[in-house]
Amino acid sequence: MKKSIKIALALLLASNVAMASDQFSMSEADKAMYAEMLENNPADIMIESGSELLEANVGGNAGLAKFLKVSEDELPKMIASFPRYMEEFKMVVGLDQMLQGAMSANGHKPFTLKSKEMFEMSSYVKSIANGEPMSIDIHANKHMEEAYALGEKTFAQKRGGRGLSCMSCHSPDAIGMLLRTQGLPDLGAPETKAAATWPAYRMTKSALTTLQKRFQGCMENALLAVIPLGSKEMVGLEVYVTEKSKGHTIAIPGLKR
Amino acid sequence: MKSSLIVSLLLASGLMAADYSKVVEQPDASEIIKKDLLGPVTTYKMPADCITDDAKAIARGAYIFHNLNGDKAKGDLPEGLSKKNPDGKAKQYGNCVACHNIEGAKGAGNIGPDLHAYHANFIKTGARDNAFVFQKIADARVDNADTKMTINLTTKLFNEREICDITSYIVSIKK
Ligand code: HEC
Ligand code: HEC
Repeated sequence: MKKSIKIALALLLASNVAMASDQFSMSEADKAMYAEMLENNPADIMIESGSELLEANVGGNAGLAKFLKVSEDELPKMIASFPRYMEEFKMVVGLDQMLQGAMSANGHKPFTLKSKEMFEMSSYVKSIANGEPMSIDIHANKHMEEAYALGEKTFAQKRGGRGLSCMSCHSPDAIGMLLRTQGLPDLGAPETKAAATWPAYRMTKSALTTLQKRFQGCMENALLAVIPLGSKEMVGLEVYVTEKSKGHTIAIPGLKR
Repeated sequence: MKSSLIVSLLLASGLMAADYSKVVEQPDASEIIKKDLLGPVTTYKMPADCITDDAKAIARGAYIFHNLNGDKAKGDLPEGLSKKNPDGKAKQYGNCVACHNIEGAKGAGNIGPDLHAYHANFIKTGARDNAFVFQKIADARVDNADTKMTINLTTKLFNEREICDITSYIVSIKK
């Protein structure tokens, strides 16, 4: 089958999953389709488009390596260590924010963090590290320690219309319990390894979704006020959740419900 | 000239050490979070006329218990309940079935205790009373600071009367 036809088919199936699994978790048929889609992830074309965007705006992998002051061989390891503190930014940055700097250094107006272009480009950049273990270092310096601490605090903060926190559903003793019909995942376990598998194609949204965007999804569902991408607290949450996946192999794009 | 362009021109001409802190988006979230934080643990007094066997009140309580919000709600809307807030947005309901099983629940979760036959198992046996149930729904933290249960009156998600309707539903004898 032609790749484009496969992708079209996968997209069609994805919109069906979206409807079917809104209320109930995956049926056996859904699971079979999930396995099929993992082979032909609909996000593959978006990653490809991200690669072109990196070429045009940062000079491709070579330009990115130069910006990060590493050799092209060292690029995957470097990318696997994000979010990290960068002196030139004076803050802990995610890949997307780092790319805003790289675009600017190349004379381009940076894509906004929530733009489709940034989602595609940053997803491609993370996929450069596929096969590498996540290597975030939360003890690297005081900035990383502060970012982790802020993430931990934000994760445990009860707020919103129902007074819930991320902890309400993602604490160790909540793992495996059922919320409606959905099992509560262990964000750091090998079968989830959230930070190593987002950006992912999210079937219920039929869209390429980044980790921070996924956090926003949980905030929306649980009635917590949604906080903006790139805010200190969001980056903190990313640092906190990424630490849970440390050592797990990066595999982008993921495929998620 | 765009500021990002100025920065990159300066960088290219070597007039400036690299500083991307102004180029990067870092919106403030602290104000959003501050306004959204949960108020202090509050003990409430159950109103005298709270618990009722009025079928309409119980129907409202059941509807709030089993549904997520006005947009997603299924079945006939009981008298005295709205699907929308005054601002036109969908009214939020309890979505209690996300965590609790109970008579007639569809796709119930198990994060909270099973509330089947609550009257026979908990009220009649004296293990619980109505006021306990009311308080638990209003602000569950009073006897469990770390609870995973939603907070419904301190957050003003519901008013006192709505909490009474939900409580009346839970403690009612079901067919
Ligand atoms: C009311 C329950 C609840 C709350 C509160 C909640 N989550 Fe979730 N979360 C879930 C459920 C259920 C899933 C799995 C959904 C699925 O399978 O599609 C999930 C999935 C996730 C995932 C994706 C895991 C994967 O598959 O890789 C991440 C990341 C996540 N949550 C982070 C957060 C963060 C951060 C917060 C707080 C801002 C939060 N969650 C708050 C219930 C919750
Ligand atoms: C996110 C999960 C969650 C949701 C949603 C939830 N609960 Fe709970 N509920 C719990 C947990 C966990 C407990 C037990 C721990 C505790 O008592 O704090 C509990 C306890 C209770 C109890 C006390 C039972 C007993 O006798 O000990 C009642 C009553 C109750 N919930 C009613 C409700 C109602 C009504 C709603 C909706 C308005 C609701 N719950 C929504 C998790 C939840």
